[in-house]
Amino acid sequence: MSLFVFRNNTVEPFFPKDYSFSGYDDISEIPSEVEGYVWFYQLPVKAGTESLIQEIRGCSDKFEYVLSKADHSKPFIAFTMDRGQAVSFDSGLDVMTAVSDYNSRLLEAERSYPNLRILDIHEFTYRYPEDELIDWRFWFISQMGMNPRLSAPFQVWYSKKLDQIALKRKKCLVLDLDNTLWGGVLGEDGIEGVKLGGDYPGKAFHFFQESLLALSKRGVILTVCSKNNEADVLEAWEKNPFMVLRKDTFAAWRINWNDKPSNIRELAEELNIGLDSLVFLDDNPSERELVRQTLPMVATPEFPERPYELPSFFKSLVENYFRVYSITSEDLNKTEQYKANARRAEASRSFVDLDSFIRSLDIRLTIEAANSFSIPRVAQMTQKTNQFNLTTRRYTEADVRRLVDSGWEIMCLGVEDKFGDSGITGCVMVDGDTIDTLLLSCRILGKGIESAFLKTVLRLMRDRGVKTVKAEYIPTPKNSQVESFYDRCGFTCVGVDENGVKSYVIDLASANLAVDDFYSIILE
Amino acid sequence: MEEKVLEILKRVFELDHVDETCSQETCEKWDSMGQLSLVVELESEFGVTLEPEEIGEMKCFGDIMRLLSDKL
Repeated sequence: MSLFVFRNNTVEPFFPKDYSFSGYDDISEIPSEVEGYVWFYQLPVKAGTESLIQEIRGCSDKFEYVLSKADHSKPFIAFTMDRGQAVSFDSGLDVMTAVSDYNSRLLEAERSYPNLRILDIHEFTYRYPEDELIDWRFWFISQMGMNPRLSAPFQVWYSKKLDQIALKRKKCLVLDLDNTLWGGVLGEDGIEGVKLGGDYPGKAFHFFQESLLALSKRGVILTVCSKNNEADVLEAWEKNPFMVLRKDTFAAWRINWNDKPSNIRELAEELNIGLDSLVFLDDNPSERELVRQTLPMVATPEFPERPYELPSFFKSLVENYFRVYSITSEDLNKTEQYKANARRAEASRSFVDLDSFIRSLDIRLTIEAANSFSIPRVAQMTQKTNQFNLTTRRYTEADVRRLVDSGWEIMCLGVEDKFGDSGITGCVMVDGDTIDTLLLSCRILGKGIESAFLKTVLRLMRDRGVKTVKAEYIPTPKNSQVESFYDRCGFTCVGVDENGVKSYVIDLASANLAVDDFYSIILE
Repeated sequence: MEEKVLEILKRVFELDHVDETCSQETCEKWDSMGQLSLVVELESEFGVTLEPEEIGEMKCFGDIMRLLSDKL
């Protein structure tokens, strides 16, 4: 992606070669033919405190001006300002306050501009001492506010950040127990004997559990895969007073003596998520190796040998796999939803036939046009949904907004039943008479919702005068479950190309678009 | 040393081939940004520090060789 960088100093060496740059501290031109914008203003170099503070304030004003004028459908990435090299004649508080005001104004703007993402420059600069961050030779020769020697590590960090912004993140942690969530071996040391809480190393494991709990509250699913007696672990979860992660924290577990790769596969199936959404943590190097060999799509990072390394390990875990920009409320509820699914699975056992089971669930489907609140979620679903996804076209928020503006009909599906609200869990993107994208989250499948949703969408299209609808199935390694979905829904396959892409049509006049009455459908 | 310098010039300025005639005049990417990358590479390869005045004078392969031999 070629972005345009607004800057006050020389920053060219820190960005990819296809980027373009404003003049120094020049906001007179905001180009429109670029794919997005970067705002990278560094602490101005000024000897006087007063004029420095004035100038920092000016930077905020300029930022807000540019942000408001730039194309809002394009990504805008803004770096925070580092206090860096400012000389403090007294306590330095004034400059510090001005810089932190500048940074708060950036963060403030993130609330009103969905296309804005803030990158905290401190996450990069804190690794270096001050005299490495700036080399005054290069300041005076070329106005470089940051040492050009740091360009390689900066680019590595920056591209990792861009990946995170593009939402390439994992969904679920699979955790070992002994010497991973607590010190010692439960089977040998007993419930009171394992090291958790109290002095080191128990303290370190306790902190690690608290950190993981915080992560689960941000929408990451926690599961357990441990070689132990299940009864012992259940008892320890209940009785050890220092236990932070207990039975309720975990969406699923496999505590048995089977091999870990099989257990991990089962966990992924039970939760209906792909193996490549998992991160596996285990202190035992041979277990890690086995999982790496047999399930290479599962991320298996090294695990620290010493418990005091757990805090920095946790930090890198979050940065590498779980950092997300723009959390949606669905994320925050995810563990709840996966647990409600487990309760639904329980309920299905007491019904003889599927229909009466579905009827008993009291399912309500809400179908509404995408709006500014649901667009981030739509983009996120196109990025993350692999299995029930007919075409697997990935879109960014900016793409979705552009398509809405260009007249596409983008509709979101919300699903609620007596066990809980799954939130927005599906969407369809329609370009005139063609279904470009149809996807549903796997956690709502298995109840006929998929065809009820599609039929309702087709009915809406018929109501606005469409006669024939076109659709496609594009095969990927993960979406074979929907290979014949359109066939099942009454579409006619009119061609298969050399890549296996199937083209479909359906004549709406003769199609059966009736939806079973056990779903209540709410159109908004 | 000559070979190492040529190799750095080739890498920094993304050249297909390079020889002793390489200079700011003949090499399109040897502009002020290129100069910065060149200095960073030379300093880390040879463990030297170039003074701003020296950086300003460094305009061709011969200049680099002269500066480095003075320092090494």
